[in-house]
Amino acid sequence: MFFSWFKKKKSATIAKDRLKIAIMSDRGGADYPFMEDLKRDIIEVIKKYKSVSNIEIRKASSKDVDAISIEVELS
Amino acid sequence: MSKVIAVISGKGGVGKTTTTANVGLGIAMNMKQCVVVDFDIGQRNLDMILGLENRVVYDMVQVMDGEATLEQALIRSKANRNLFFLPASQTKDKSVLESAKIEELLKELRQKFEYVILDAPAGIESGFEHTIEFADSAIIVVNPEVSSIRDSDRAIGILDSKSKRVKDGGEVEKQLIINRIDPDMVEKGEMLSSEDILDILNIELLGLVPEDKGVIDASNQGQPIILNEKSEAGKAYKRISKRLCGQKVPIVQPKAKSKGIVGKLKGLFS
Repeated sequence: MFFSWFKKKKSATIAKDRLKIAIMSDRGGADYPFMEDLKRDIIEVIKKYKSVSNIEIRKASSKDVDAISIEVELS
Repeated sequence: MSKVIAVISGKGGVGKTTTTANVGLGIAMNMKQCVVVDFDIGQRNLDMILGLENRVVYDMVQVMDGEATLEQALIRSKANRNLFFLPASQTKDKSVLESAKIEELLKELRQKFEYVILDAPAGIESGFEHTIEFADSAIIVVNPEVSSIRDSDRAIGILDSKSKRVKDGGEVEKQLIINRIDPDMVEKGEMLSSEDILDILNIELLGLVPEDKGVIDASNQGQPIILNEKSEAGKAYKRISKRLCGQKVPIVQPKAKSKGIVGKLKGLFS
């Protein structure tokens, strides 16, 4: 395709983005033990307003702060 | 002062044994006494790459168990008198390795050689941990490919937690070789560049080795590619060996084949 070249993301860039996330989560080691429970609780809360199709909770700690990231996909 | 260097990777098949053979020979070509040790117990391969498979009589497990002396087991390279080879056992499995015996063997090798290079088994199980345990530094071999890079990061993690140097409060030196680079693909954005890989893994770069069909031809003959003056991969291993011997040699980016204007246009619209 003539114009697809301008839009298509190079596969090396995709690889880099995917690797960064995969390695970050590999390095994070074990998840917090409460994550499954937390997931269930969050679903319960959000369900009051809108139905949920998926929830992702990740350990997102850096050197200085302990953190988790929560991604809620609505259906 | 002698140095023990473990050559490691996450997954197999990235060129660890090829790297060990070429770097070992390259260091020997720099007039240093060097020994390469095959730690891949049960899957001996370094002997084939070095062209020494017919000379194997005793192996390193027999030396560790006192069934043979180190002198009996060491094999001198035909290609360079400064290079020696200590084979892996082919009949036993990786479970025979014991820390105390490995430490003793390495102590003996350190007395005889300036460079002791250990070819680690693939994967990150006990055989791998034993190879890195007493190493001063590690060469991590990756291919510009997602599974190889991800697995190598895990291997680096184990290196950082299981190495004796780290446990003693020190550090284990880590250097990266990116092997089998296809510069044409990198130019087209279809393969991770060396900058990308260094950014992801965040370790020091030791060298870049381009994809080279000559490597298989070389292993067919048991003549490491570094002996081939014309090969780009061979030249890359020469530079890497010099760096390991303390010389300052600039990093050379593998070059893409230069295309005519027609080729460039084709590349643009394909």
